[in-house]
Parts: sequence; C-alpha cells; structure tokens
Amino acid sequence: MSTPAPSTQHAAGEAPGQTPGAVPGAVPGQAPGPAPATVWAPLLPMAMVGINRPGLALPAWPGEIGRLIALAVAGSDGNAATGMLRAAAVLATCGAAGAQGRPWPHALPAPAPADSLPAWPEGAALPDIAWAMHDGPARLAPLVFVALAQAGRRLPAALLPQALELGRRALALRPLLAPVLGERGRWLAARRTEWRYAADGAADGSTGDPPLPRHWQDGSLAQRLALLRRERASDPAAARTRLAAALPGLPAKERAEFTAVLADGLGQADEALLDQLRADRSREVRQAACDLLLRLPGAAHPQRAAARVAALLGRERTLLLRQRWVIAAPGAAGPDWKADNIDPVRPGHDSLGERAWWLYQLVRQVPLGWWTGQLGLDPAGLLTWARGTDWAEALLRGWRDVLLAAPDPAWCEAWLDAWPADLLRDDPAVVLALLPPVARERHWLRQLRASAVPLHASVQQILAAVPPGELLGAPLSAALAQALAVALAPGRAGAEHLLRTSLPELCAVLDPAALDRLASCPDSADAPPSWAATRHTVTQVVAVRRALLQLPPTRTP
Amino acid sequence: MTLLTMEAVLGCAPDDASAKAARGLTAAGKWPLLGADAAAAWGECQGSGARPYQTQVDFSGPAFRCSCPSRKFPCKHGLALLMLRVQAPQLFTAQAAPPWVSEWLASRSGKAQRKEARQADQAGQPPAQSPHATQADLADPATAAAPASLAASPGTARRQTLRWQRIQTAGTDLQRWLADQLAAGLGALDPARLQAWQTMAARLVDAQAPGLAYRLREAAAGVQQRDADWPERTLQCLGLLQLACEALQGREQLPPAVQADLRSAVGWPHDQAEVLAGGDQVPDRWTVLGLVTEEREDKLTERRVWLHGARSGRRAWLLDHAYAGRGFEQVWLAGSSVQATLAFFPGAAALRALCATAPGTLDAPVWPAAPLSAEWDRIAARVAACPWIGLHPLVVRDGVALQAGDGWLVAADGRALPLQIGESDAWALLAVSGGRPCHLMGEWDGHALRPLTAWAADTPSVSPPLWQRSNA
Repeated sequence: MSTPAPSTQHAAGEAPGQTPGAVPGAVPGQAPGPAPATVWAPLLPMAMVGINRPGLALPAWPGEIGRLIALAVAGSDGNAATGMLRAAAVLATCGAAGAQGRPWPHALPAPAPADSLPAWPEGAALPDIAWAMHDGPARLAPLVFVALAQAGRRLPAALLPQALELGRRALALRPLLAPVLGERGRWLAARRTEWRYAADGAADGSTGDPPLPRHWQDGSLAQRLALLRRERASDPAAARTRLAAALPGLPAKERAEFTAVLADGLGQADEALLDQLRADRSREVRQAACDLLLRLPGAAHPQRAAARVAALLGRERTLLLRQRWVIAAPGAAGPDWKADNIDPVRPGHDSLGERAWWLYQLVRQVPLGWWTGQLGLDPAGLLTWARGTDWAEALLRGWRDVLLAAPDPAWCEAWLDAWPADLLRDDPAVVLALLPPVARERHWLRQLRASAVPLHASVQQILAAVPPGELLGAPLSAALAQALAVALAPGRAGAEHLLRTSLPELCAVLDPAALDRLASCPDSADAPPSWAATRHTVTQVVAVRRALLQLPPTRTP
Repeated sequence: MTLLTMEAVLGCAPDDASAKAARGLTAAGKWPLLGADAAAAWGECQGSGARPYQTQVDFSGPAFRCSCPSRKFPCKHGLALLMLRVQAPQLFTAQAAPPWVSEWLASRSGKAQRKEARQADQAGQPPAQSPHATQADLADPATAAAPASLAASPGTARRQTLRWQRIQTAGTDLQRWLADQLAAGLGALDPARLQAWQTMAARLVDAQAPGLAYRLREAAAGVQQRDADWPERTLQCLGLLQLACEALQGREQLPPAVQADLRSAVGWPHDQAEVLAGGDQVPDRWTVLGLVTEEREDKLTERRVWLHGARSGRRAWLLDHAYAGRGFEQVWLAGSSVQATLAFFPGAAALRALCATAPGTLDAPVWPAAPLSAEWDRIAARVAACPWIGLHPLVVRDGVALQAGDGWLVAADGRALPLQIGESDAWALLAVSGGRPCHLMGEWDGHALRPLTAWAADTPSVSPPLWQRSNA
C-alpha cells in the first residue's frame, strides 16, 4: 500500500487562522484559561482510554485533510488502533506543514524612543570597552560611564544589559550610569523589575524604591530608617516629632540607630530632644546624644562642659616674661557630673590616673572650636601646647574623641601632621578617613615616602577611599607608580602577592600620566605564573584607559 | 571585513572559556605586530613565554593557525586576532606578509589545488577520512568504520539488502507494538509500562534503526514530563513513527528520493563520499544565516550551520560533531558569506548538505528578502516532501521580539511565535532591537522558534547581524 503522504496543496490550502493545532497550549503570558481546542482534541479521549473500548469510533475531520484521514483510515483493514495511528500520521504531518504560530491581535508595546545622544563612535576600541564591562576590574566600568558622559555620548545598545546589571548590584554606580543610558537604556530598564531603578520616573535613581508611609508601622528596620531619613531631608521638624514619639517603644539598638538620623540637618531645634536622650537607659544612645550635642556649640550641655574646663585653665609667666596657658586636672569629682554624663569612676586598667581621667572626661564634652577661641591657638599650636602640659594624654584623648564625633578638617590635618604615636595607640587611618578623598592624598604621599606602612596596605587604603568614577591626583599617582616599579622590580617577583592582586584595580584609579610607567614595568623570569595573568589584565586596563582618553567629544552645536 | 561582528567571531569559539579568553586579548599592547592584506591577517601575540605566538587567519575558508600549544581550535589568539581585525582595522599597520604567513598561505592554496585535482581524478572515490562525521555516523560504527571503497562492491550490496530486511522486520514489529499501545490507551501509561517503551527502543537500535529508537524515546520522554499538551505531542511522535513503518513496508515502490529520506529517518546515515560525489551540487555564494553549537552527551559537541544561497535561493543545513571541545576544522561565521559548492544529501527534503569545496574568501552577507508567507510555503513544501524533518530554518522579517509573561515571543504579520531563548540572550536582543521590528533567523520545530541571528530591518541587505545567539 502507499504511504499517505500529504501534498503541498493540503498544507498550503489551509487559510491562516485555521492552522491545525500545531502550537498547542497558550502562548506564555496570555491570560490563563483552557488551551484552545486543536484538531487533536477529538482524538484525545480515545487515545487516553484505549481504542478497543466498545462504542468508540474515530471522529471525522472537515475539509481536504478530513478526506485524506478518511482515506488513510479506510486502508487500515478495520484495525481501529492502526486507523488511529494513521489519522495521527496525517494530522502530525499536516500540522507541521501548516504550523504558523498563533494569531497575535494585541497591540505591540511602544518601542524605545529615538536617541538624541550620539552613540559610541564606530571602531573606537569597542572590544576593549566590552571587556571592561564584563571582565574588567570593578573600578573600570564607572570610568567608562564618566568618560562617555564627558564626551556627551551614550553606551552602545549591546552593552546596556550588562551596564544595568552592574547598576543593580552597586547603588554608587547609578548616578554615573544615568547620563549614559540614553532613551534606549531607560526604555530597557523599564521592562525589567530589577532594572527599574534606571527607568524614567524612578524614585531618584540612587536609592531604589521610595519607602512608603505604611513602612513606619510594618516595615523592616532598614525601611523605617530610610523613611525617617527622607522625612528628615524634607521636613526636619516633622522627622524629629516622629522620632520622639516612637523612641519610648523601641529597643536600645534601634533607638541608637534612629538617634543617629538626627545628624542629618542637625540644628538648635534638636537640642531639647538630645538633652532628653542624654538620660536614656542605653549607654549607646546617651553617647550618641552627647556626640551630636558637640556639633551644637551653642547648646547648654557643651557650654557647661566648657565652663568646667575654663575653670581649670590659667596663665603663668614664663622666664621670658611671656604669658602662657596652663591647665590643671580637677581635684575632685563634681556633684553635678552624673547629670551631665561625666563618668567619675576610672576603669581599673586605664593608663590615666584618676585626676587625668576626670580631665579626659571633661575635655571630651567640649567642642574643639572652643579651645581655638579660648586659647587663641590654631589646632597645630594646641597640639604642641598640650604636649607641653602635665596632662598631655588626657587632653589628646579627649580631643580625639571630640574629633571623631564632630570631624573638623583643620584638626584632622594638624593631627596627621604631628601624630602623637607615643601617647595614642590609634591608627592614623582612623583620622585620615574623616577627610574628603582629595584632602587625603597629601598624607598618603607622606605615608608612601615614610615607608612605615607596607605598600600593599597603603594601596588597599587608597582603593577603599576612592569613590567610583574618580581618579587619584597626578602627584600621588606618580608616587604610587614609582613605588610599585620598585616593589615589583625583577628579582622581587616572588614577594608582594597582595600588591599584585590589587594592581588591576589600582590601574583603574591612577592618573593617566602614571599608567605608562606601570604598563612598561618589565617582566621578570622568576615571576609566578599568576603574575602573567595579572600583568595581562593590567595591559587590558591600560588599553581601556587609553581608549577612553581618545574618545572624541561630540561637536557642540 | 568590517561586515563581521565580534559576536560572530566569538560564535565560532570552541567553548565559553576560549571566547572569554579571546575577549581579554584585545589590548593593542599585547600585539607587537599586527598586519593584514586582502587574503589574510596576522599578528604576534605576547604570551607568557619569551617568544610571542604567531597567529594568522586566512580569510579564504576562513582558516586559523597559531604557534601556541593550545589544542582548542580555533585558539583564543586566532579569535582575538579576527576580532581585532573586525573592530579595530586601523591597528593592522604591517602590509607585507612575513615568511611564516606567506608560506602557510602558499601551502594552503597548494593543498586546495591538489585536493581539487584529486577530486577531479577520482570522482566517486571518497576521501579516506571525512571531517564531517555526523552523530548518526558515530553511532553507527558499521558504516563509519567500513572501508568506503567497498561501497559499491557486491558484498556491500548484499549487506545493504540484509540491513533493509532487518529494519523492515523491526518496523513491522514496531507497528504492531504501537497499535497495542493505543489499544491499551495512553492514560494507562505508568513508569513500568514506559520501561517497555525503552526496551522497544533498544530492540530498534539492535535492528540498526536508531532513528526510530530516537523518536520512540522522545515520545516516552514527553509522556514522563507530562506537559499540558503531552497527549497530542505523543500522538504526533507515534503518528510519524507509523508513517515510517508503513513506508518501510512499501519501500521498494517509493521514489528514490523518498527512499533516501526514509533511510535518514531510520538513522542509517548516507555515505559521505557518495554525497560528495552525488548529483545535487550547488555552487553559490552562501550566507551563514545562523549557527548553533550544543553540548551533547559524552563530551560530544554538535554544530548546526544554516546557509542561504544568494543565487539559487536554496537553504542548506550543515551538521557537524566534535569531541571534547576541540572545535571544528571548518569555521563558519554568522553573517558572512562565502563562495562554495555544497553537495546536498539525497532525498526529497534537500536540506542537509556537505561542503564539497574549500569555501572562498569571506564576504558580506546577502540576507534573504522573502516575506514570512513565502517562508511558510517553503516549510510546507519541505514537510510535504519529507514529513520526518524536525528542524527548519525560518527567517521572520520585521518581527518584534517581546516579553509575554515568563516567556518571550516574536510578533510578525499579526501572528506570534514563542521563542526558545535564554534570559541573557533575550535581554541582549531586546536591547539592540529596542522593541522595533528586525529580521530574525532561527530554527523552527513546528512549536517554537529558537532564534540564532537578528539583523536590522532598516539597513541595506548586506549589513552585519545586529544580534547573535550566544554559545551558552
């Protein structure tokens, strides 16, 4: 017998829309509901229960395919199962021949608006940029965004998914990413929940979803903090009222975190609440309140502290008939100290004696500005003066506490210039971190020259301090390149593993002029194999940096 | 050369690791020497050793060669060199080919000439070893290992007759068994009864009909997965098996072309030498519409390349396999075109082919311009000629890729085709298309489209692809 092979006519004879059920099941995303009936439907019940049940007969199908099925079934010599298989053969073949998807009567979603910004210029090191976005060190992608924004260009469309993905993972990248997304990027961002932060109309592009008022009742600690911060930014008084009302019901840890929010937009109006919080049950909250009061020099609490210290200050005549300031430690603890959060009980292990401890306790409540005004000395002069007194450690420890609570750039600089390593065990990096990054570079330079800190530790400090998309200044970059060239010179290749691993990241923050020096750093024969991979990455980073420098600016109209 | 894309070059990487390594080799500083002329590009790449690697690409073919010790093909240096040539041609400053390039090119063209001469001399005599071993060939040591020169001998004819008889007997058994299954009803299928399906499939393999066994296992897998539409999917599989069984019974009365398709359908591969010597030879400028490389079981990599002939208008399918991520000797770059002669396998479907001549120099693509309705007609005609074809190349003009619930689809001409696409590929496609119509090429299995390549709708027909499916 001949095989019932369908001819082209059968398949082509079907009008679109009457496609035999070749695409069964709903198109994903369409309203769930019963799958549309297909040509297979009449066959399914008997195929499931078995054709040999009495009373079952093959159905008939309309049209030319129906006639072909009838013909095929008629040739099956009365074997019902074979007839059904033949019907399936015809349906399967005609279905495959006529399958054309499903009708799509819905409107198409709006396409991305046309972009006004010019794209990445043709041929301009696109492979390098693609590498930077996918496999480069983390600090390289932000540089790409910044360079593009400066050149007035947008990211190539093919790199948008990766860029949006980077922004999803790092909040700090989002403000840099926004200007180079273009219309296409914002349109794309709106299509995926995880990328919606970058879409038009997103909260502010940097903080994710805005907190909702109901979060104050049922939100997580982070959500409630975010809500309070937002309110503090727009209406400081309302935020204070909200905080004051909520505080009694909160656990100690949360009270401390909420109190810290008052630092934003701190003002004289906050004094009453802070004074009240000085009597909180939690030591952490009491300390937070005192620290904040230090930033309000006109407040009563720091003024009382200053008055106590003023009583200990005196002037004496020197040999050259000049006056100079002297300070004495308190002879006894005052009865009003407890109420003002002064702890008269010296811990047993402390290096200070009892009177020195009392002085330290008083000093750490006095704003630094009071000292410069009272003694007529600048911070450097005060540090020199303190070292000349009998109470140097108490004074320095007190000032350090105040500096950390209420940072002051001039005091930071003075401390870093004359770090009292003999009296304080703190790491100068603690004070360095209080300065804005640019102001830190001078101290890092000195740190590099002094070689007291291992180079890799300095590099780590520096890397941790540079915000994404920013570069180090030229002098520091040159000094770093010089130091690295020495540290990684041939013959020393086995050492400095930590330094090597941070080299690619460092190359992404150095001033361009310093890059050549690093890129030409010679290879050594005794280098470990991993060094070849690192060097290779450095070469790639340098190539990307050069490509960014050569990015042609767009013509301004 | 600027008509290629980075993605197309990476598309011929033997594995993801090679592609990633190649992406990291594009710094100009790594390449102390870069040069190119009309025929080739070459470069020296600084590796970890003292001497740089000598890497070269012959645009004719294209073919890669590198002095590095990697066993991957093409190696990361070759990929990176071609990628640089595509994206940063200004770096290729050297113009006179050094001896290590010119000698290689000369030996290649000499080899090609000798090969052509040999083929002219010994038309009908197969080469001892063909690079195009198919999965079916590999699964069938009887054919693959048999000395090809015996193909026409009387002993072979007898063996072939015997094999047809075995397959025919198995087909008769299968047909009876199928009827029994339907008599009992698919609803009664439980794991124990499905085990009997596996046993039946094993018997078909023993009877040298692995193609039928493959279809039966596919049907069993569908039953096990129990997707919403499993009963009709199963009936489709069984219906096509029934068609094959009945065709086997009447095989000798069928036209030779249908007999040839039936042989493919039962999994008895055609002798590659016979294909190369066969009558359906089509010289044309072939555009690589798309290609896909997939990991199969046992470290086997399968590559499917879909071609479109500019002059003949024909579509062709090249199927290759490679072991253990070695990559493929013949490189195809999506969105490029080459002058080549294809030898089509015998059969009415006339889709699968072998490359009979070394492909010529890389050129710009010539994208097909037929409307979607003509594409459907092409598929209908092909299915009518050979119902056992599972994958069809489909070009959707002016399609809009969009998200629909958890999935993706392409809408065109008032119809929608579900897309079989990974998330990162889908977002990349959406990013480059921006929700506007573009032309999309993919593999159509009757239910969903697996997109392989997209190119812009509003640019000339020779532009490079906009998007390409990643190897992942």
